[in-house]
Amino acid sequence: MKNKRSFTEELSPRQILEIDACTQCGECLKHCPVQDVTGNPTVSPPEKIRMFREFIRASDGLKARLFGPGEVNRKLLEDFTRAVFECTTCGACGQNCPTGIFTQRLWPMLRKEMVKRGLGPIGIQANLQKAITNSGNPYDMPAADRYRPWFPEKVRVADRADVAYYAGCTGAYEAQPMVRGDALVLGAMGEPFTMLPPDEEVCCGFPLFITGQHDLLEDLVKRLVEGYTVRGVETLVCSCPCCVNIMTRDWPVIYGRELPFKIRHITQFVATAVQQGKFRISKELHERVIYHDPCYLSRGVGVIEEPREVLRSIPGLTLLEFERHGLNSRCCGSGGAARKVFHENAIKMGRLTIDEAVKKKADRLILSCPACYAKVNEAMQGHDKQIRITDIMELISSLI
Amino acid sequence: MGTILIVAAYGVYAAFWIRFLLHALLWWKAVTRPATIVGPVPRSSVKSCAFSARDVVLFWRLLKVNPALWFGEWAFHVSFLFVILRHLRYVFLPVPEWVWWFQIPGLIAGYILPLSLLYILIVRRFSVREKYSSPANMVLLGLLFVISSLGLLMVTLYRTDVVAVKLFTIGILSFTPAAVPDSILFLMHFSLVLVLVPLLPTHILAAPLVMLEARKRDLGLPLVIHEE
Repeated sequence: MKNKRSFTEELSPRQILEIDACTQCGECLKHCPVQDVTGNPTVSPPEKIRMFREFIRASDGLKARLFGPGEVNRKLLEDFTRAVFECTTCGACGQNCPTGIFTQRLWPMLRKEMVKRGLGPIGIQANLQKAITNSGNPYDMPAADRYRPWFPEKVRVADRADVAYYAGCTGAYEAQPMVRGDALVLGAMGEPFTMLPPDEEVCCGFPLFITGQHDLLEDLVKRLVEGYTVRGVETLVCSCPCCVNIMTRDWPVIYGRELPFKIRHITQFVATAVQQGKFRISKELHERVIYHDPCYLSRGVGVIEEPREVLRSIPGLTLLEFERHGLNSRCCGSGGAARKVFHENAIKMGRLTIDEAVKKKADRLILSCPACYAKVNEAMQGHDKQIRITDIMELISSLI
Repeated sequence: MGTILIVAAYGVYAAFWIRFLLHALLWWKAVTRPATIVGPVPRSSVKSCAFSARDVVLFWRLLKVNPALWFGEWAFHVSFLFVILRHLRYVFLPVPEWVWWFQIPGLIAGYILPLSLLYILIVRRFSVREKYSSPANMVLLGLLFVISSLGLLMVTLYRTDVVAVKLFTIGILSFTPAAVPDSILFLMHFSLVLVLVPLLPTHILAAPLVMLEARKRDLGLPLVIHEE
């Protein structure tokens, strides 16, 4: 495929160095969840980097400079595109990279390059822009149904408040017990909170960002930031790790300046309230529970202790840990918008999470991400091992 | 043969710098381009620099993920460095005193170098957890093993005329080529070095900078969404 465009156009200077810095040692494969279920080294991080180096050589190497950009083998481009979109972008490879390559950010940018070349996104991901333009959410569901099916009747939402709650599209449409739990807990805390009307609470931009489709990002972010600003919001609380990640890391860049409010994951908000004695869980729960760290919450923004603090505040509860937890947690298969395209991989990864939880004799698997919640529940259907899956706020709301 | 080697040496030397400049140009173009979305840039601090120095010098990150491989990799890189420093006696005229300091350590490193490469190959080939071996890395390891073994043979069993070697290298560097030393081992050793240089991985230059960024990022992670 002949194209004068450089393969480095979407990369930052740091990412260009990262492409050069990969030693091809292969240590990352031991931590790659896609490798765990496919065993296919051609979709591995070092192979992706090796292929991308070839592309850069074709567009920016000596031969390209002297005689113009070379032709890149179409099959190689397609193989690379598939590999980079099959990845869950969980970042476990980067976390365990002996060089420290920030892969959780690198893969989305390589995806963006493939999108610019018309090779990505893959499958259903290609409908995201249209769906979000149509309905404000990636599932193309009616805005009117965003809150109605799950929002608790007894919880009051203020018109204006210091605190706002963003439910997020996956929570609202695919993991409703989770967002219902969020609303119940926020309501029980007693502090007034506001929300945008359902037609104004549009997608945070993460599905577009992660699939390399950045065109709508600025519009979405400006609408949301301005919506919260006019409501006098000082703290925006959200339970979706992907939303929290893009809000914290990228919204200020896309918005063009510092956000006029703080972003907090709901577990941070609740843990602070517990510490300050403003919120107490009175009911006991004599169960062994195991907590799964969502990749974009732990490796993404470093929220690791707060969910555990919240769980430990439940009287009688025993908290177990996965072998890989915290910064090293293993992806449950839902990340990187790959779950709807590479469904089988995601189901297998979800089952690995379930299997380990069952092996550890946990009574309940606690999640704190709507994508994890939706996919791991799906993975349990027809699986020989069964465990009760509960979102962290769903659990808390049942104990207050 | 001598002329071919000399021409090849100049070719490899030029290719090395062209490759380096092309990478630098690529990076510079990215610096001057409008910024892509990269998220918050972590701040540098004395702590991040100190930790990065540890990462670079001791390969700390590798030690954390694979201690068995770390042992071989660290031994290889350190012995390689000392061997290079020992070789500087062939480059300088007169030889500075500091180069002499590295002669004995460099000699010892010459024994460690092939052993460490052999160790790395064994760990990588026979480790149960090993899932991926880059063919390019394997070629590089094999090449380095042969080069270092030939070097060791020239120091121990089949001694080469070091004066002739020095005249040859100084001749190349000063563009007044001299005769190639009369040693088949040296010819092989030098030819393989010429093969090695274009294959030298780019991570040699880029990895330390990436390690610095990674350490800054690690230290900055608790501040991404938490109060300072």
